[in-house]
Amino acid sequence: MKAKDLMIPIQDYLRPDNILKEAVNLLKTAKRGEERIGVKGLPVLDEKGKLVGMLSMRDILKAVFPFYMSMMTLGDFTWDGMVESIAKKSSNRKVGELMSKVVISVDEQASLMECVDHMVKHNIKRLPVINKEGKVAGMLYERDVFFAITKAMLEENNGDGK
Amino acid sequence: MSSEAAAAASPPFVMDTAFWTATTIFLLAYAVIVSEKIHKTIVAVFGAGLMLVLKILHQHEAFHIEEFGIDWNVIFLLISMMVIINLMRPTGVFEYIAIKSAKWGKGEPFRIMAIFAVVTAVLSAFLDNVTTVLLITPVTLLIADALEVDPIPYLISCALASNIGGTATLIGDPPNIMIASKAQLNFMDFIYHLAPIVVVMMAFYIFAIKLIWGRKMNTKEELKKRIMAMDENEAIKDPVMLKKSLFVLAVVLTGFVFHGVLHFQPATIALFGAGLLLLLSKTHEPHRILAEVEWPTIFFFMGLFIIVGGVVKVGLIKWMSLQILDLTQGNLFATSMVIMWFSAFASTIVDNIPYVATMNPLVIDMAKHLWPNLSGIQLLQHPDLMPIWWSLALGACLGGNGSAIGASANVIVVGMSEKAGKRISFMKFMAYGMPIMIMTVIVSTIYVWLRYYVMKI
Repeated sequence: MKAKDLMIPIQDYLRPDNILKEAVNLLKTAKRGEERIGVKGLPVLDEKGKLVGMLSMRDILKAVFPFYMSMMTLGDFTWDGMVESIAKKSSNRKVGELMSKVVISVDEQASLMECVDHMVKHNIKRLPVINKEGKVAGMLYERDVFFAITKAMLEENNGDGK
Repeated sequence: MSSEAAAAASPPFVMDTAFWTATTIFLLAYAVIVSEKIHKTIVAVFGAGLMLVLKILHQHEAFHIEEFGIDWNVIFLLISMMVIINLMRPTGVFEYIAIKSAKWGKGEPFRIMAIFAVVTAVLSAFLDNVTTVLLITPVTLLIADALEVDPIPYLISCALASNIGGTATLIGDPPNIMIASKAQLNFMDFIYHLAPIVVVMMAFYIFAIKLIWGRKMNTKEELKKRIMAMDENEAIKDPVMLKKSLFVLAVVLTGFVFHGVLHFQPATIALFGAGLLLLLSKTHEPHRILAEVEWPTIFFFMGLFIIVGGVVKVGLIKWMSLQILDLTQGNLFATSMVIMWFSAFASTIVDNIPYVATMNPLVIDMAKHLWPNLSGIQLLQHPDLMPIWWSLALGACLGGNGSAIGASANVIVVGMSEKAGKRISFMKFMAYGMPIMIMTVIVSTIYVWLRYYVMKI
């Protein structure tokens, strides 16, 4: 099985100059399969359809987390409403400055193990799949890889059972 | 001409190939360090390598001869203090101090700023300035967010205070560590000669920041409650390790106070403290603590010592010292003033570490020229030479405040401010830093003149 057999063809994506407010709205309403129930991360593409980054829930969390808090242990000294007020101030920031810019992606022809390799080593939950033209063809989700593994396990068990 | 007469009187040196080779390496290295095109540590290490490969210095001289080589006293003092601080940091003691200070300020923006300036100055006197700034500014930014005030005044005042406070003690700022080692001065010499005037300067400084920022800092009553609701006791994460750290710190500080009497070098005290705290911490991962030592800074020092050793050996530094004596016509008051003010402006542009690395042997060469019959401690601590050492220390440490690149603490603060989305331009920093620098150097000038040339105490 290859990356392209398991991926979900690309439906929603962001642009680097989208503001965060637009981005979270799309994350909330993006298509998963046929339904608009939201996703936890979206690819960011430039005008030519080239992949330039990924914006996930974690990036949104980082957007409200002041950098100075990572330098010392200050969690005990924060106050009610701090996250909400930074969130309001951050809503007009650009996707381009907050997205993860180093993106690991795979080729359409990549083997399933190559995809698992990336997911395990870099703790990735969604992998962009790139076609021959260098554009994003779809997304490969951890969940779908998991289903493929389950299928393989259960099939083998069935075989043993007979 | 008196310079020719002076040169003739001292042992001659020749401007041969070695002289020009060493001088070229020295000047190129300094030019590249100032340009920041290549990381300063790489420049220093490569320059040191060239000095050795081109046989300006032999390896033995670079590694084992005090006059030309690496000053291991400085290196081990720095490494040991870094190890002690790295072991103390996770206990939460620094968060505790900062939150406690903010609460002393009762949530009043300017009061907090003044208290933070004093706390920063005191911490800087005992820790290196960069470490202090890295420990204070995150809390400063949190407090500024809590009070919804502009963080820039807090950040700038913190950097300036750290450079002033660091001037007070032997271990406060690298120039002092280097001067102490070269002139064999002890911890109490610095407390006796520099700390009093630093206290006076801090009083002037607090008054100055009150004038600059005092009236602009306002907040709402309900925001002050955010500060008062913080419980500093929650900061302490490891009370057992904290007790051990405070014990070792007390041992080390007592050791510093008495090291002159006990005939220990400061590095001996610090190394013992670092070893003791590592032992008491029962850590099984010393590599993690040791990896946090700022090795680029340590290698920067080692490289510079070798580069400067090269130009000392070929006589460039001696030539420079004769030029200064020529300029001041041997008047030592004029010499100390020239050194103080030149050091202040030089340190505004150049890192004060390479600057002092160059000036130390220069002062010693000058002393050798003035008192050719003396040697050892009688030469290094000649009563007429002492004000020159103090002028060098005051100028080199305080000069760092003159610009955003004058001291590492300033560079850190400007970087942090930019990360917080508030850019401090080069000119903006200078608009505050330069007047403060000039004010403190004027205070130093009056002090050195009064204490050493009028009252002679």
